[in-house]
Amino acid sequence: MSGFLEVALLLAAPLLLAAAGELLLERAGSIQIGLEGTMLIGAFTAFAAARSGAGPHAALLAAAAAGLLAGAAFAAFAVAGRADPILVGTAWNLVAVGGTAFCYRLLAGVTGSVLEVRTLPALAFGLPAAALAVFVVPFVLEVFLARTRPGLALVAAGENPLALAATGGSVVAVRTAASVAAGALGALGGALLVLTVSPTFVEGVTAGRGFLALALVVFARWKPLRLVPGALLVAGATALQYRLQAGGSHIPYAVFLALPSLLALFALAFARGRGGAPKALGTPAP
Amino acid sequence: MRGESAVRRFAVAATALAAAAAALVGLAILAGASPLEALRALAEGAAGSTAALGETLTRATALVLTGVGASLAFRAGVLNIGLEGQFLAGAVAAAAVGPLLAGSALGARVAILAAAAFAGALWVAPAAYLEARRGVPEVLSTILLNLVAAAAVSGLVRGALQDPEGDYPQSRALSDAVRLAPLASGSRITAAVLIALALALLVTLLLQWTPFGLKLRATGLAPAAARAIGLPRARLRLLAFASSGALAGLAGGLEVMAVTGRLYDPFAAGAGYTGIAAALLGGSHPLAATASAVLFAALGAGSSAMQRDTGVPGALATIVPGVLVLAVLAARARLARKTT
Amino acid sequence: MSTQPSKKSPASCSSSPPSLELRRISKRFGETRALSEADLVVFPGEIHALLGENGAGKTTLVSIAAGRLTADSGEVLRGGAHVSFRKARDARLAGLVLVPQHDLLIGAASVADNLAFLDSAAPFFESAGSRRARVARLARAFGLELGDADARADALPVGTRQRIEVAGALAGDPDVLILDEPTAVLSPDETSALFASLRKRADAGAAVVLITHRLAEVFAGADRLTLLARGRSVKTCRISETTPEEIGGLLLKNAEGAVRETEKKREKEEEKIFIEGVRGARPLELRGDMARGRSQTHPSKHAARSAAQHPDKSLALTGFAPNVTSAVRAEGISLSLSPGELLVLLAIDGNGADDIARAIAGLEPFSGRVEICGVTLPSSGNPLVFRAAGGAFVPADRREEGLVATLSLSENLALPNPPGRVLLDRAAMRTRAEERLGAFGVRFASPDVPAGSLSGGNQQKVVLARELARDPAILIAVHPTRGLDLASAAAVRSRILDACCAGSAALVVTADPDEAQLFDAPIRVVYRGRLSGELAPTTPAATLGRLMAGLEA
Repeated sequence: MSGFLEVALLLAAPLLLAAAGELLLERAGSIQIGLEGTMLIGAFTAFAAARSGAGPHAALLAAAAAGLLAGAAFAAFAVAGRADPILVGTAWNLVAVGGTAFCYRLLAGVTGSVLEVRTLPALAFGLPAAALAVFVVPFVLEVFLARTRPGLALVAAGENPLALAATGGSVVAVRTAASVAAGALGALGGALLVLTVSPTFVEGVTAGRGFLALALVVFARWKPLRLVPGALLVAGATALQYRLQAGGSHIPYAVFLALPSLLALFALAFARGRGGAPKALGTPAP
Repeated sequence: MRGESAVRRFAVAATALAAAAAALVGLAILAGASPLEALRALAEGAAGSTAALGETLTRATALVLTGVGASLAFRAGVLNIGLEGQFLAGAVAAAAVGPLLAGSALGARVAILAAAAFAGALWVAPAAYLEARRGVPEVLSTILLNLVAAAAVSGLVRGALQDPEGDYPQSRALSDAVRLAPLASGSRITAAVLIALALALLVTLLLQWTPFGLKLRATGLAPAAARAIGLPRARLRLLAFASSGALAGLAGGLEVMAVTGRLYDPFAAGAGYTGIAAALLGGSHPLAATASAVLFAALGAGSSAMQRDTGVPGALATIVPGVLVLAVLAARARLARKTT
Repeated sequence: MSTQPSKKSPASCSSSPPSLELRRISKRFGETRALSEADLVVFPGEIHALLGENGAGKTTLVSIAAGRLTADSGEVLRGGAHVSFRKARDARLAGLVLVPQHDLLIGAASVADNLAFLDSAAPFFESAGSRRARVARLARAFGLELGDADARADALPVGTRQRIEVAGALAGDPDVLILDEPTAVLSPDETSALFASLRKRADAGAAVVLITHRLAEVFAGADRLTLLARGRSVKTCRISETTPEEIGGLLLKNAEGAVRETEKKREKEEEKIFIEGVRGARPLELRGDMARGRSQTHPSKHAARSAAQHPDKSLALTGFAPNVTSAVRAEGISLSLSPGELLVLLAIDGNGADDIARAIAGLEPFSGRVEICGVTLPSSGNPLVFRAAGGAFVPADRREEGLVATLSLSENLALPNPPGRVLLDRAAMRTRAEERLGAFGVRFASPDVPAGSLSGGNQQKVVLARELARDPAILIAVHPTRGLDLASAAAVRSRILDACCAGSAALVVTADPDEAQLFDAPIRVVYRGRLSGELAPTTPAATLGRLMAGLEA
């Protein structure tokens, strides 16, 4: 089973990272349903950086920088601009999907030959350091939200923005910061795909992982630590599927594709109230 | 939106068009082409010939229906982001029912479309139920249902619906008698686009000119007041959910019946999301959403020709609608804050 | 009010420099002038009451002091030195804390986490133990009952939540503490406890500014007061230098500008009543006489009500209790109204009267039995059944629940059952709107203008026009005149009385004893969910006030 655990962890890392960022943003009261687009931006940036000679770690950094910018841009519309984040996110996906495909064609030519890049070197368990570090992120997030002052301010921005404003905080600043962080984490998640799982970029390389990450946040009921079992479950199921496929099994792959969304739907259906959703989720800053 | 002054609408439209034009020109230059050449190729590919126009209107069919469906839902205050999934549900229903039907072509067509519309409405039902009974925001549940639908299509074309006479992951084809024939030779255009346009008119009439439409709009504009006034909020929302789902499902059914003839994977990805973009650009007005949908379809049809003639990647057709919507959202939000 | 004003504070005022000075502050919001050259001077060691009608500019003035708004002109001084707070954060760091009217707590977080959030001196990182210790420390230091440190804030009663907010504000030892209507939702006991904590803080040298509508509280617990009227400070003095009558008279005199000339007569009548209300803190005999004199000025509706011979009850409650999560829950209510009968439920907000009305109207679930003209309403709460049985409802929040602000007047009046079989009959809608609105004295340019473009008073008349158009068997009206100018309030009241003359029963919820008397109908006071016996409309306002406060059973 050595290969199985390795593959599962490798598949879980990008998902977990993107979901952690999204969770942070949603706890602050905004929501980016265009996470798929942000992951694509990260994946493409890492790919483009690696193609132009950067090492895999530099490529990771480049993706993080692109993610910061993406998060800031989203916040400019959906936080400072007070446009509905759901609608901004819908348009965001179109721009990111189209934009990365456009740029990839410029890089690869219209015919689209497969271009490989160097992957991150493995550190332990066949995993690179960056992928291992990902599993610390939910714990850091938990401590940040539960025990620090800015964490409390962030929770207030998502639960009772008026209270944050009244006590001298800025809802726009807090949500923008959360969006920038979420952008960086989402883009890093996309970059990990290119730099670990499949060493190339194709259009739609994220294959719905951004949406899966959204589902995971709901499944985790907005609690950082619950992201870990969720991500491992999804990644484990996918890894299992690879093995079963190799062994000629006939359990349809679709079951595993649908699994996280179905689990999230059940989590929503059977949780009390709104399933732990922040009270001010999706509402404009005062 | 209702209550928007003419000046404001003009300002919003001007901002959006300027942003879209800037994106077009900028991307063309980035791709190393002459912007004028690229635009000419785009325009010719979209409307330069009967075939081009036919291509635009063929692509527009699904977008008009999802755009109108999204408008209807948004006006009732239902944030149905799941049109993509409902579109796929409709396509699955058409692909499943279509090959089984023999006999009169008209009867078979009606049955296929009815099945598709029903499947679309059915696919939105869990979201409607969870919202009404459990207070689950429909934004979250409909997105999740999109993923389930995409997974289901992927599974079905390799499983229950797979064409037994081939190894490809695709369903059996509909018979030529059932498929819609082109209206003009040398063009893909069929009567499907007429169905879509008729429904756009019908939904406009419904929203603006019927008692039901007024109740629906009141529910969307002021949910708390609608409840206190004694409007059947749950029923109105359910009807909005179901009819927007049915419109998206119908779009999926027509796509199979008029364009592809069968289901495969991935199937017309993005029709639901682009339909939402069309509704947003049109301020959730069905006719304006229809115009936006035709514009987006023209971009899609034209960009293929542009890619062929000038080397500007066709992905431009996805970017520009997104840019348009972002510009509209930003301009509206800005104006709204200025006036309050 | 159990707390007595400290006798030493006023004397110490003039000796030390003021903690906070607001000089000639002006502020406009678009066309509206919220403040014009208003002054407020507060000294260390005093509790300073800031009084004024709704819309007088009290909240705007303290928001400027706390850096939440910027003044158009004027200056802010702290301890004699000029300051200009750009943000609320600057003001807090400088020792000035404002507790606003709206909820300040994170509902999903614990008491301990909420106090850490509100404490401006909380460290960057803090252990759970340290946060719990803060709760105990603040509870001890200010004598406030703050509840279990690990309890979720949204599970606590409103009084505890209010105390947590005040404790959070006091945590940073502010020099100036400003509280915007902290007592509106508190019981008398809770109010006295709050005043006691505030007095403790003032005795330690802080200045406390308190916005309130309740003169009784001011005269029982404050040292000085400032009266604002239409954006100006019209009086500042020590409590010992004035009387409730004088302040009440000033409040009314300055509200006059808002009232139209044509309504002067009615207004005079109301003025008399208003001053009576202010005398609530004075001996009872005086009040009783004046109230009796007043009751003759209003045409009595008793004749109409007693003439009703209909055997069926318009409204009958049996063992009724709204199922709401509010802190205070009404229980075991049984009452009935015959056609033409009117009953006033009088209560301070937060005592459960609003919930009773909303549950009858089908907007909240309830237990027990509600019948309208013999039809039993479903206990899950269904506004449709309520209305189908002949009910009509005027909500407290007309902008959110009464009207669809962006739809036109004619569309609003056509809801919930617009005319037309297939297509809307727009001509009929317009005609109907013009008729109804004209009959109700609504000023409107055209039936096609959005309902939200009308003034508050006219909006309320539109709501009434729509609800009474149905000739309801029972009208439920919650704070129907809240926030209206005197003329509009009188018009709304007379419409409700007219409907009763025409045979409708009515249940009116109000928080104002004088308003309650003006309906000239039986009154039942609701205190902490319990209904008093039926009281005559001639019951002195002071007695009503004591019942509302739970001081008399």
